[in-house]
Amino acid sequence: MSGGPEREIHALIQAGRYEDAEARLRPLLASGTGPIVLWSLLVQALRLLGRPREALPIQHMIVDSNPGNLAARFDLSEIQLLLGDFDAGWRNYRYRYSLDHTTRIERKVQMPRWEGGRIEGKTLLIHDEQGYGDTFQFLRLVRLAKQRSGARVVLQVNPETLDLARRSDLGADETIGNGELPPPFQMHCELMSLPMALGLKLSDLPGLAPPYLVADPKRVARWRQRLAALPRPIVALAWAGRPTHYNDASRSVTLASLAPLAIPGVSFVSVQKGPAAAADAPQGMALTRLSDEIAGFDDTAAILSVADVLVSVDSSPVHLAGALNRAAWVMLPFVPDWRWLERREDTPWYPRTRLFRQPRRNDWGPVLQALAKALTEIGP
Amino acid sequence: MSATQQTIDIGQTLMRANAHWNAGQADQAELACQQVLAVWPGQSDAMHLLGLMAHAYGNLDLAIAHLRVACQAPRAPAVYSSNLAEMCRQRGLLAEGEQAARRAVAMDPRQAGAWNNLGILVQEQGKFEESRQCLQRVLELEPDNGMAHNNLANTCKHLGLLDQAERHWLRALELIPNYAEAYSNLSNLMTDRAEYDKAAEYARRAIEINPRLADAYLNYAGVETARQRHQDALRWLEALLDFAPAHAGGLAALALTLKQLDDLPRAVEAGRRAVAAAPENPEAHHALGQVLQANGQHPEALAAYEKAATLPGTAQEKAMVSRAVLHMELGRKEQAQAAFDATTAAFPLSATAWFNQADLRRFKAGDAAIARMEALLAPGGSQSHTDRMLLHFALGKAYLDLGESARAFHHFDTGNARKRPTFSYDAAATGQWLASIAEMFSADLLQANGGAGAASAMPVFVLGMPRSGTTLVEQILASHPAVHGAGELRYMQRIVDGLGAFPQAVPGLAAGQLTALGEAYLARIAPLAQGRRHVVDKMPSNFLYAGLIRLILPDARIIHTRRDPVDTCLSCYSKLFAAEQAFSYDQTELGQFHAGYQKLMAHWRAVLPASHFLEVDYEAVVDDVEAESRRMIDFLGLPWDGACLEFHRTERPVLTASVNQVRQPIYRTSAGRWRAHAAQLQPLLASLGIAAA
Repeated sequence: MSGGPEREIHALIQAGRYEDAEARLRPLLASGTGPIVLWSLLVQALRLLGRPREALPIQHMIVDSNPGNLAARFDLSEIQLLLGDFDAGWRNYRYRYSLDHTTRIERKVQMPRWEGGRIEGKTLLIHDEQGYGDTFQFLRLVRLAKQRSGARVVLQVNPETLDLARRSDLGADETIGNGELPPPFQMHCELMSLPMALGLKLSDLPGLAPPYLVADPKRVARWRQRLAALPRPIVALAWAGRPTHYNDASRSVTLASLAPLAIPGVSFVSVQKGPAAAADAPQGMALTRLSDEIAGFDDTAAILSVADVLVSVDSSPVHLAGALNRAAWVMLPFVPDWRWLERREDTPWYPRTRLFRQPRRNDWGPVLQALAKALTEIGP
Repeated sequence: MSATQQTIDIGQTLMRANAHWNAGQADQAELACQQVLAVWPGQSDAMHLLGLMAHAYGNLDLAIAHLRVACQAPRAPAVYSSNLAEMCRQRGLLAEGEQAARRAVAMDPRQAGAWNNLGILVQEQGKFEESRQCLQRVLELEPDNGMAHNNLANTCKHLGLLDQAERHWLRALELIPNYAEAYSNLSNLMTDRAEYDKAAEYARRAIEINPRLADAYLNYAGVETARQRHQDALRWLEALLDFAPAHAGGLAALALTLKQLDDLPRAVEAGRRAVAAAPENPEAHHALGQVLQANGQHPEALAAYEKAATLPGTAQEKAMVSRAVLHMELGRKEQAQAAFDATTAAFPLSATAWFNQADLRRFKAGDAAIARMEALLAPGGSQSHTDRMLLHFALGKAYLDLGESARAFHHFDTGNARKRPTFSYDAAATGQWLASIAEMFSADLLQANGGAGAASAMPVFVLGMPRSGTTLVEQILASHPAVHGAGELRYMQRIVDGLGAFPQAVPGLAAGQLTALGEAYLARIAPLAQGRRHVVDKMPSNFLYAGLIRLILPDARIIHTRRDPVDTCLSCYSKLFAAEQAFSYDQTELGQFHAGYQKLMAHWRAVLPASHFLEVDYEAVVDDVEAESRRMIDFLGLPWDGACLEFHRTERPVLTASVNQVRQPIYRTSAGRWRAHAAQLQPLLASLGIAAA
């Protein structure tokens, strides 16, 4: 089945017309059988419509029909993880490097992957992957991996988070930066494969609660001084994620659109990095731009330690604040990343994080109203 | 910088390169390699590492190019040649690979990996005995090498040493618990042993562990094919081709499965795609030959078999057998026998060659062929369940020729007993079902729907028990210039499958639906007619659907072939059918089925009009072929044609179990032949209610 309804429905989804796509698909699949490509489009539409529970059995059927379609397994993992099915979700999540655009970015370590067993006397290399947020979120598992494996653990992280990781007592025996030559090791594990190796369950998370990252006390002192003149509450602010993220359009906002948060008496400090940092602030917002003074995540961590709360879209500062156990309020799009689960306003990953979800697609209005209300409630 | 200084730098840089690559840091590893190559172009270790990296990133051609350079250095270690050998194997460069592997083991005979790579390279070229020696050598050096156990098992399987193969696979799984390849291979072995549930379970586990293991899909499809679930086989092949659209083995299996499903145009297309994807793959050529043969393209089919038989690999034996069978089906007896002889000369263990030629030859006392088949069944002979079954049927035929009834039936009993557990069959339920058909197609029902159906006198159905003379009758009819013999068509079965429950669904069909079903059948046979007035469908099992035929094709003629019940059943019992005849592999069940068949035919006799339903006794045809032939031609409303009596000369392929009989002018040896074997047929006679006088 090429062209025809497939192409038309694909175009509807590209145009954001998910309801129309579903309406077009339903009669074609009414008999309960149909080409896999149409079922896949239905799953796509249902997920974008925020109905993962309906998408789940269909995605299962797609995977059962074509077990070798690893992209379908990865899609299944995202649905499973979003619904909190960690057990199956982490297992299918291992296909994240089996997609057309990811096979070449997989780090092809020539040693076997650790699968959770005891390997006393051996060395285990744990290395992070692409997203800074992922690294901050999953560094909490290093200690558990050390305990389970009994191995000497070498942790390898990106240079930007190296100082933070070294300073914090994460359970590794040695911490090095990516590109450095690791000592001889016998097994390895990606940071995001640790949940599968450890059999991580939702109910394990309270036992792995932050803080597990530690800000640099000297920097904290410096930033405390730097921000001393600002009236409290001090709100750290980030409004845009990495622009190359596949879902950036729905997760990021413009600074100007944050006008409802401009409440008298509330001080904002920008921790935004990248091209969005220079954007114009809305009228009346008391915004101090720190971006140019922030040399790296150590500075961000120190600022978050001084500020009363972080208000941010779904981006790496959220995870840094969470890992430091600082208060964070997260603006989430209608269909969020799997790690924020469904519906709830809190998150088992970070006890001091509050989630502000879009009630409808592309509508930040209610989110900003709720945030504004919450800001007025903190008080000075 | 002195020369010594430079040497030290190179050594350290290479160590760094290897350590980086070990940690998957490709940029740093490559950079270090390039630093070495800048001062020492073509440096062997650096080229080798770049080759390994290219391989890891899927650039096989580049990897081979790097390794060729690496191996040219005077001090290149054996392992480089060994790695080159394996990459050449993956690329299908078997000769170059073998050469590199031989160089590796010559340089370092204690290099287990090199023996392993040589072992699988010669295995892929069909040199199984040498492969076994190489792989045993690996296990002497490294007894706990799980992959070597798996490879050796594969070689043992090719050598027919199935018990050994199983032991090595199980050992491989002890050593490497989630070893997808070993599970997949065990699946294949279990299919061979007709333990289909186990086979499916092993294949399922293999796919679960490694969803991209192509062989596991092929083996899963193989299980379903073996148990005649072709639709399920198709599903697994489509799942394979979903992620590997140009997989030659997958396309070849797809071609054969589509053939089983009667979709010949798509089958031929799949066969051609298989050959295009891998022009040197003998399996692909063999599959193409099979579908071309089914499609009536005999010269092309023969060419495909010839090609498959000359290519190195493991398909040579079956290609040679297929070539012989094609000659046999075309009635070229001498060529067929010569082709079989060539097969058994090259492959003395080929049970399929012996089985397929058993009907072609008339065995004589002291026949060397008998001794050779007996030797294959003796201790130390074939361990394959399927092969042993084939040999028992072939030997049964041989001893029947010799008039040694007790020996013949010892083999038939054993062969049938091996076949019977490979499928499930409920004789009592079948009996009830046959009775329910008669009940449902009452005279009233046929009367009430008299006006429905598609009007066409083209279809002629020849039906009855298998081995009751349907092939002979069809051959006589097809010798008439106005008649095309289409063989055993599965179209009625297809129509019935589409109804849901049969016969329960029939009374609910409206007149328009009956007409549509008849038209669907006509649409299938019309292209076969080639301008002739009648097309004969000689699917024997259409006796189940004679009433339905009457409803959907009211102008069709039906000829029921009858034959002495015991002779019929004896003949069924002595055959291993290509398609499933589930009632035929146990004397008692066979008799029960025949009794049910007789009752159903008595019903059709009572309710179908004589103008459209003719019964012909096989024995009468044998006694007076002209009189019976004239009666049948007359029944079709055709003028008499003398060609009908020359039926054994007709040049057309015959594809059923009767293939070699109709080529002979009729011998009167057939009628009542069972009496000579009464002692061996007691369960059958009891079941048929016939006293063995």
